[in-house]
Amino acid sequence: MSAPRPGSGADGILGVEPRLVFEPAGEAEAREAMQACARDRLRVAFVGGGTDLGLGNPPSGLDAVIRTGRMARVLEHAPHDQIVRVEAGITLSALQAALLPHRQRLALDPPFPARATAGGLLCANGFGPLRTARGSARDLVIGATFIRADGVLAHGGGKVVKNVAGFDLPRLLFGSLGTLGLVTSVNFRLHPLPEEEATLAFPGLSPAAVRGLVGDMRQAQLEPAAVAAIWAGGSLDLLVRFEGFGPGVSGQVERLLAVAGKARASGGRLAPPQAAAAWARQQTAREVGPFRARLAIPPASLEVGTRALGTLLAALPGGAAVWYPTLGLGFAGGAPSGAEAVATAAGDARGALATSGGWLAVNDAPPEVRARLDAWGPAPATLALQRRLKAQLDPEGRLAPGRFVGGI
Amino acid sequence: MGPLTEAARGALAARMADVVGRAHVVSEPSELLVYECDGLTHGRTRPALVVLPGSTAEVAEVVKAARAAGAPIVPRGAGTGLSGGARPVPGCVVVSLARMTRILGVDLENGTVRVEPGVINLDVTRAVAGAGWYYAPDPSSQGVCTIGGNVAENSGGAHCLKYGFTTNHVLAARLVLDDGLVLDVGGTAADAPGYDLLAPLVGSEGMLGIVTEVTLRLLRKPETTRTFLAIFPSSDEAGDAVSQIIAAGILPAAIEMMDSLAIQAAKAATGLDWPEDCALLLMDADGPAPEVEHVHRRASEIARACGARAVQVPRDEAERQLMWKGRKSAFAAVGRISPNYLVEDGVIPRSEIASVLREIGRLAAEAGLRVANVFHAGDGNLHPLVLYDARNPGEEERAAHLGGDILRLCIRVGGSITGEHGVGAEKAAYMAEQFTPEDLDTMMKVRCAFDGGALFNPGKVFPTPRLCGEKPGPYEPHPVERAGLAERW
Ligand SMILES: Cc1cc2nc3c(=O)[nH]c(=O)nc-3n(C[C@H](O)[C@H](O)[C@H](O)COP(=O)(O)OP(=O)(O)OC[C@H]3O[C@@H](n4cnc5c(N)ncnc54)[C@H](O)[C@@H]3O)c2cc1C
Repeated sequence: MSAPRPGSGADGILGVEPRLVFEPAGEAEAREAMQACARDRLRVAFVGGGTDLGLGNPPSGLDAVIRTGRMARVLEHAPHDQIVRVEAGITLSALQAALLPHRQRLALDPPFPARATAGGLLCANGFGPLRTARGSARDLVIGATFIRADGVLAHGGGKVVKNVAGFDLPRLLFGSLGTLGLVTSVNFRLHPLPEEEATLAFPGLSPAAVRGLVGDMRQAQLEPAAVAAIWAGGSLDLLVRFEGFGPGVSGQVERLLAVAGKARASGGRLAPPQAAAAWARQQTAREVGPFRARLAIPPASLEVGTRALGTLLAALPGGAAVWYPTLGLGFAGGAPSGAEAVATAAGDARGALATSGGWLAVNDAPPEVRARLDAWGPAPATLALQRRLKAQLDPEGRLAPGRFVGGI
Repeated sequence: MGPLTEAARGALAARMADVVGRAHVVSEPSELLVYECDGLTHGRTRPALVVLPGSTAEVAEVVKAARAAGAPIVPRGAGTGLSGGARPVPGCVVVSLARMTRILGVDLENGTVRVEPGVINLDVTRAVAGAGWYYAPDPSSQGVCTIGGNVAENSGGAHCLKYGFTTNHVLAARLVLDDGLVLDVGGTAADAPGYDLLAPLVGSEGMLGIVTEVTLRLLRKPETTRTFLAIFPSSDEAGDAVSQIIAAGILPAAIEMMDSLAIQAAKAATGLDWPEDCALLLMDADGPAPEVEHVHRRASEIARACGARAVQVPRDEAERQLMWKGRKSAFAAVGRISPNYLVEDGVIPRSEIASVLREIGRLAAEAGLRVANVFHAGDGNLHPLVLYDARNPGEEERAAHLGGDILRLCIRVGGSITGEHGVGAEKAAYMAEQFTPEDLDTMMKVRCAFDGGALFNPGKVFPTPRLCGEKPGPYEPHPVERAGLAERW
């Protein structure tokens, strides 16, 4: 094993600096690093592309960081079975580039694709508007290998899309933020690249109109691949993309235009460069900082969600936001007008969302905001069970300590 | 936990009657008979009692009472499971959810429905079909199996390649834990902060707790469905066609395959005029009309290019239903061509269909038995039916042996020992062949977080029972790995 190097400020997680940094070049080295951490009882956290390190709380303490950047190989791609097995540190862009010659893709479109890694996509739930048709990493993961706190290597799932043997460990890792183990490889289901795609834009809609149009679309049995509503100062610019074969895509475009016409929503199909720019705009809306939050609500309560975006943006002058109407999820980000102001706004938004069964979590925030705002919000009723789960897999509480819900 | 004494059994029955009412406790040996097994009928164990609670609160009290008496609990839905998941263990209380059959609320704005666990799968769709919605996971047993059982088994069906399995459609569940605590996991708002507790729950085969309420995702009915039946000279060409169709970017709603023995059986049961001595593919495409028309045409062309002798398109819905009836009847119909048969359930990579079917044929010939194949080809979920005659001495054992060899073959080509029927009591031994001791230990730790005393469904899924907190031996690489014989994936 290559020896760990001393940590520096750049290796810190939310300002907490590790003494040691391991950069394993594969599963065997990763295991040695985890075993070294277990032997010396080191508190350790994992870093992939570093795109979601702002999620959750700062670690309560940190001795070591394991970076997955040197574990970045495609281990197996079976084009005919439409599955891929990759090391955890491969970036989404690198993976898509490897799949492109086979006209396949991993159907995830989160922000920061050039940095986001396979392990991070699974453990931090990286997704974008394509989730409408293809689901999240939870729906696409079919297997995973990870190293537990005690240095033991475990697999769950497998290489086939259908498999009910044993408990579903890969999905348990979904959103677990490195608190259950170091993911070393992930197996994903792939999808073919669509032969054709078309984007339609309906700018300047009210939140109610967005909800109405999305409902009409469903009523008309249209099947969009991606839907996003970009915040445009109180109103929303709705983007809808269809993917598939030529005749199917053009047929659906026509139908949506008819549906929108009836609903008096004006808009139309964008030429490819404009479409690319529009989707880039929704992605940028998720990348602005230094404050970023994610919000959720049952999809039909869209206006509660977009009102919460408005509440946040009032404290983030010049900020940006996007709402995914089919998913009931949204993001807002920007530079706080003041720490107190944004913390209060987030608290208000969180309260409003909670009354409709929703929540707000901090994706990133400057320290002065964190001091005033809990990253996760009120502890869930399942906290005791969650703690037991953590205690089973990491009894000494050494993995990303304090980062997760309820101080897990 | 040893079996209860007769006196303790009587006291527990009385306690349960206080909770659920006398009429809902079964303790007479003659009445216990029907609960001795599930759909896997060759293993039977008599439970101490069967209790049928009517609410979450009653389930919680039943759990506490059983635990206090030291009796394990085996949850039960409709008992259609095919792996012995609901088979009683000695001295247990079977908790049947069959009385909890209410549909608690339909919310089409959010596309969800909240149901009790005893609701029959198809009744969910029936409740919303009028409005043009449906519940996607469609096990062949959907007319009789329960949502609680589906959640426990992560059930799938013919349409799961495109639409996903139960785990992709459960948004929330109410769970009674081993101490009677009631917890809600998941929610209608996506991705609630915290661990995804639904992930281990769905597919946990009744080992983590009792599910007493489930919120399911509903889907809008697709606008159009188009179906064709393609007739191939053999499974080789049919298997190739499946791969080619999917490689062309087509995601069929369903793509089912039958070999000549399965066809014979289906014909005997339905009177369909299908040719024999061939392999059939039955494919559904669904979605918006223009897309479906295109996909349907492309897929039929590919089938022809792969050597299909004919591609039949049903003239109307009645004829379409008849084709599907042929497919759906095949399982039971095998009873017409063989006095006994075993149903296997394994998964292989789709691209291996033709080679694996050939290998199964070879293994069958070696064993002097016949195997009929009827299966979900799109996701490589095989259902080999091993035919035998129990009256011939030794044949049943040979059949069981052949079934095991087929599962091993699935593992060898990178697949799984079960795609939808679960591990249960039947396949626990094979788990150790698909997973390492470390993998199983990790799953066991998850079990221990939920159910530290192994109250629920003990002895299922895991090949070697272990108590929570018990230290496993030192970790070693799996012998086959050490020998360089196998990689885990
Ligand atoms: C003819 C036939 C065809 C079939 N086809 C398919 C198919 O296509 N796809 C497929 O996936 N399966 C299929 N099956 C298998 C079976 O129908 C499914 O596994 C089904 O989900 C079992 O439901 P059940 O209500 O009968 O559950 P049971 O058999 O009663 O129980 C199954 C498991 O669930 C647990 N359980 C039940 N209810 C609860 C609850 N409320 N809380 C916690 N645990 C619970 C039990 O302990 C047991 O482990 C088929 C079975 C038959 C007989």
